Amino acid sequence: MDITILYGTETGNAEMLSEDIQSHLEGDHSVELSNLSDFDPGSFDKNRFYIVVCSTYGDGELPASAQPFAEAMEAAKPDLAGIHFAIFGMGDMEYEETFNNGSKRMEDLLTAHGAKKVGERITHDASSSDLAEDLAMDWADARVAEAAGLVEA
Amino acid sequence: MSVTIAIVGAGPSGCYLAQALGKLRDDLAIDIIDRMPVPYGLVRYGVAPDHQGTKGVIRQFARLFEREGVGFVGNLRIGDPEHGADLTLDELRDLYDVVVLATGLSADRTLGVPGEELEGVFRAGTLTRHWNDHPDEAAHNPALGERVVIVGNGNVAIDILRILAKETHEFEGSDFGDHHATRLEQTAVRTIDIVGRSPAAHAKFDPVMIRELGKLSGVRIVVEDLDDATEGEDKRLAALREIDGHGAADAAKTVTFRFGWAPERAAGTDGRVTEMHFHNASDGAELVLACDSVITAIGFEDDTSMNRSGLVGRASDAEAGVVEPGLYLAGWFKRGPRGTIPENRADAQALAKRIAADLEAAPPSGTRPGATALRSRFDTITDYEGWLRIDAAETADLPDARCRRKLTRVEDMLAAARAKTET
Ligand SMILES: Cc1cc2nc3c(=O)[nH]c(=O)nc-3n(C[C@H](O)[C@H](O)[C@H](O)COP(=O)(O)OP(=O)(O)OC[C@H]3O[C@@H](n4cnc5c(N)ncnc54)[C@H](O)[C@@H]3O)c2cc1C
Ligand SMILES: Cc1cc2nc3c(=O)[nH]c(=O)nc-3n(C[C@H](O)[C@H](O)[C@H](O)COP(=O)(O)O)c2cc1C
Repeated sequence: MDITILYGTETGNAEMLSEDIQSHLEGDHSVELSNLSDFDPGSFDKNRFYIVVCSTYGDGELPASAQPFAEAMEAAKPDLAGIHFAIFGMGDMEYEETFNNGSKRMEDLLTAHGAKKVGERITHDASSSDLAEDLAMDWADARVAEAAGLVEA
Repeated sequence: MSVTIAIVGAGPSGCYLAQALGKLRDDLAIDIIDRMPVPYGLVRYGVAPDHQGTKGVIRQFARLFEREGVGFVGNLRIGDPEHGADLTLDELRDLYDVVVLATGLSADRTLGVPGEELEGVFRAGTLTRHWNDHPDEAAHNPALGERVVIVGNGNVAIDILRILAKETHEFEGSDFGDHHATRLEQTAVRTIDIVGRSPAAHAKFDPVMIRELGKLSGVRIVVEDLDDATEGEDKRLAALREIDGHGAADAAKTVTFRFGWAPERAAGTDGRVTEMHFHNASDGAELVLACDSVITAIGFEDDTSMNRSGLVGRASDAEAGVVEPGLYLAGWFKRGPRGTIPENRADAQALAKRIAADLEAAPPSGTRPGATALRSRFDTITDYEGWLRIDAAETADLPDARCRRKLTRVEDMLAAARAKTET
């Protein structure tokens, strides 16, 4: 499958995880990696599956690198019908009230424009002893398997 | 031979710079040098012990050393021999094609008011290094007493406030040393007044830092001087309004936020502080807080040991951190003591592009030897493997509910770093 991993990050954790997911999937799939800040909302492609990794900053906001993307989405209002994505959120339970609000915002932004979420959004807690990559690889494999029947090849 | 790059300072700026350089070019031999046998700068010694999530960036930095071939040269101080340096900047430049200074700014800014030298007046950087077990401040012995006044309104002031306000059990999962927790328990702080010069709406702390205080179980929180604060950033005021009145009226500790008070002088008897005086800039009103200690948390500055002003003064592009091709400044050392970890990342990425462009424009001959020369000259140097041994020692046999017990003496770190693991 053709896969694009998009990451929204502020301190780089989501970028590192995205690179790990890319290395993990690369053997069986063709995987591109892009920072959301460099991604044009007009370039979503029905023939690709999107894996979004996004952290949370400030007071439950999108991280810095996802903000230009969110603005571009609001401006361009692309029709994302037929686009499939899965989303992995990175946050910290130290910020309990707004835990993973950034990835929730990102999910809402994509679905509001018609994209379809594959599987549940999963969240990583930086204060837990879990390593994000320990959660992410099985999750990514499962989402890619689900997407296989959905994404137009 | 590859281009050799020495980054001095293993804090977030130095580490992000190595990361960014590695993404631009794969033919660079990068070493990160630190005066400590342990890496990560203020991520280890500044970021609060109960904010372990924020320290998670360390996992990215570890990759540099573990997978990207970046070298860690620990226990080597660069600079002026009169300040205890092992090697001067010029000597280092002879050994590396490119040198970047990312040594941070660790001196506490002072208030510049009378009475600051009194016993019982403490400074935020010194205190937080002590609480974070930095060997430089292991001997620091802050007798805070029951009534503490914090002067300053940034995130560091709130970190200090939160640590003082916590009950012992609230340090679970942190790496706050048992000895510190016990000491605080014995001190039995009763009142903490935190006083800002600016009105509430212009306070520097992030609203989320205030919201976090809502989780504290053993403290009453009162916010004064909010009345006429209507304009400004709403989120900050909303967070303060929400926290006002938090906790039981008979809680053992009370925190009081006060805004709009400029520090005037500290007063005391027998050389010890007993009162902190403030005045209101707009109406001239006076505020006198009786206290056992004062903690100033008003920012950081250059400790002059690295001739920073000279370097910035002759920089061809100070804003970008270019002194001249081959010599660069990064992070707090370049920008001044402002900005959080993410800003250092953005900054490091910009500087990496600049360095790569300079290397492109005038490729160095690539004959400067880098770390090999350092290692043959100094047998005191430690490496990343040494840090891993220190890390293992710090995370073995942990006391209850702690994620790390830091070694507090450089000798102990060096001993742990050298101890060959038995195989
Ligand atoms: C108390 C405190 C709490 C903070 N909390 C947060 C937070 O929660 N979140 C956040 O985002 N930001 C926080 N910050 C800000 C953050 O720590 C800084 O933005 C960041 O650390 C600056 O990075 P740096 O690499 O420039 O400097 P530093 O982190 O200070 O690193 C400098 C390194 O250089 C080394 N060094 C110094 N002199 C020499 C020398 N002569 N030779 C060799 N090595 C040398 C030092 O040992 C150190 O390792 C906090 C800052 C402080 C002071
Ligand atoms: C200042 C700051 C604010 C944060 N705010 C939140 C938040 O509101 N909710 C949350 O779940 N995580 C929050 N986090 C945690 C980050 O999302 C988490 O550390 C994540 O791993 C960062 O990933 P990144 O490096 O890709 O940006 C915050 C972290 C910091 C330093």
